[in-house]
Amino acid sequence: MLCLVGISTVYPLLFMALNTMKTSNAFAINPYSLPRHFSLTSFSQLFAQVPFMAAILHTLLVVVPAVVMATFFSALAAFVFTKTPVKGGNVLFWVMLMIMFMPGIVILLPLYVAIAHHGLANNFVPAILIYTAINIPYGTYLLRSNFRSIPDSVVEAGRVDGASWMRVFMRIILPIGRPGILTVGILTFLNIWNELFISLVLLHATNTEMITPTLAQLSGKYSTNVPVLMAGLLLGAVPTLLLYFVSARVFIRGMLSGAVR
Amino acid sequence: MTSDDTGPAPGAGPVLRSNDQERKKRTVFPYVALAPAALLVLLLMVLPIGQTIWHSFTYWDGLTSKYIGLKNFQLIIHNPVLPQILLNSVIFLISVPLILAASLVTAVLVYEKVLGWRVFRFLFFIPNVLSPVIVGVLFSTVFLPAGAVDKLLSPFGLSNFAWLSNPWSARAVVILALVWTSFGFGMVVILAAMTTVDPALYDAANIDGASWWRRLRSITIPMISGSLQFLSVINVIYTFTSLFSFVFVITAGGPGFATTTVDYYTYITTFENGQFGYGAALALILFIIVLTLTIVQVKLFPNREVQQGS
Repeated sequence: MLCLVGISTVYPLLFMALNTMKTSNAFAINPYSLPRHFSLTSFSQLFAQVPFMAAILHTLLVVVPAVVMATFFSALAAFVFTKTPVKGGNVLFWVMLMIMFMPGIVILLPLYVAIAHHGLANNFVPAILIYTAINIPYGTYLLRSNFRSIPDSVVEAGRVDGASWMRVFMRIILPIGRPGILTVGILTFLNIWNELFISLVLLHATNTEMITPTLAQLSGKYSTNVPVLMAGLLLGAVPTLLLYFVSARVFIRGMLSGAVR
Repeated sequence: MTSDDTGPAPGAGPVLRSNDQERKKRTVFPYVALAPAALLVLLLMVLPIGQTIWHSFTYWDGLTSKYIGLKNFQLIIHNPVLPQILLNSVIFLISVPLILAASLVTAVLVYEKVLGWRVFRFLFFIPNVLSPVIVGVLFSTVFLPAGAVDKLLSPFGLSNFAWLSNPWSARAVVILALVWTSFGFGMVVILAAMTTVDPALYDAANIDGASWWRRLRSITIPMISGSLQFLSVINVIYTFTSLFSFVFVITAGGPGFATTTVDYYTYITTFENGQFGYGAALALILFIIVLTLTIVQVKLFPNREVQQGS
């Protein structure tokens, strides 16, 4: 039974991988057979016909700065909320909590109009800032619960030694809170890499398009040439899968700290 | 034991611990450190929400907007498509018990089969890290007429079934995609909750000869009810907020409006038809639904963040 469920989660990946190596005719005859010849034609076809690598590059251009900023700003905010004397922090945290699950369309209507009005459509900067902003509430929420488990005495000891708050943050909180911070970074990466709506609306020109809109359009283009389609899906999934494979343990545990009592 | 710490915020007077008192230097750090997060969230989330609320009372084509009171909402109420879309949301809620059941069953099985449980936990979580776009395109491809699924079912006489052209089978495919990507998270959460249950309870039940089902019903479910409630609420929220990508790539809302969700419909009315004011009103309705659910979630689980050992 367990193995059956295990197969259900792994087989689709194998299905993609195996079928990338077939010709579209071979796929039409039997989608489940093993490929008879090892062939990478579908990949070369994909690269020749779709600006696929460009889409990956655009996505990285947006994801990397947004992940770094969202994670760092969330960690700073969570540190302030848990370890420093600050007034009004609760109000801000409460606001973040309320909009944590907010559907993107609620904020994207006015943002899209403002961005288009200022001639910034298909510009990476607004996309980076918006992705950073929408990932801050959950990141702060998760790190706040994480940093709470760091004893106050550690921070106080640093302060008594004359360390500035910034120094305490960089030298004490960041190292101790590393698993949680990594988790937030990974979650943010996955969120942005996998997200469709914002990338679809903000970056729709060919020279700015991100990976998910590119993949979404593939299905219409290659409904008759499934191996090329599978090649695209597989390559689009590789970065998130790799990230998950190398970090699964830290990631799962870190994520639970925000979800489980 | 308290002292005033005059930061830049007017009237700031936080409580300081006694050993902080000798260093009563004015610290601006908390405010500076909070500024990036606060500015981004306020400018790019809170302010736009306010604008969406305002524009839901206007006629807005993206360039000019004119106050028209409740006209947009009247139009929405009389929109013949809307009952269908709300009904779709209710139908998609079927995914919540399905996700819970799949999460619970896999978690219990993983828990019992101690050997290699990490491997299974690892495998079951894979769909969760895939983009809904990738999962959606995969599902839409294998459910094409005469596609991979039909080939599999041909011995049962379903060799050329147009899954995505029938309202109910199209919804089923969307729900299946959502359940497949979501159950891993539920499994991980339930498994973590189960590790906090005293194993002696299971030992005692085994000695009494309790069946597998009996143990699940009488020990596991009551002991992890908090996690189950949490997962219910969070998955209800997800059916309202995260179906856009699936619907976009699997069915494009069809056949007809059979799989159109509120956010997908809002997307069409605004970004394809240019009715921004009307779209803002729709978005506001969605916002209120999700906000209500969020408040329920926060009220039910105020201490959700208590850390988990192991």
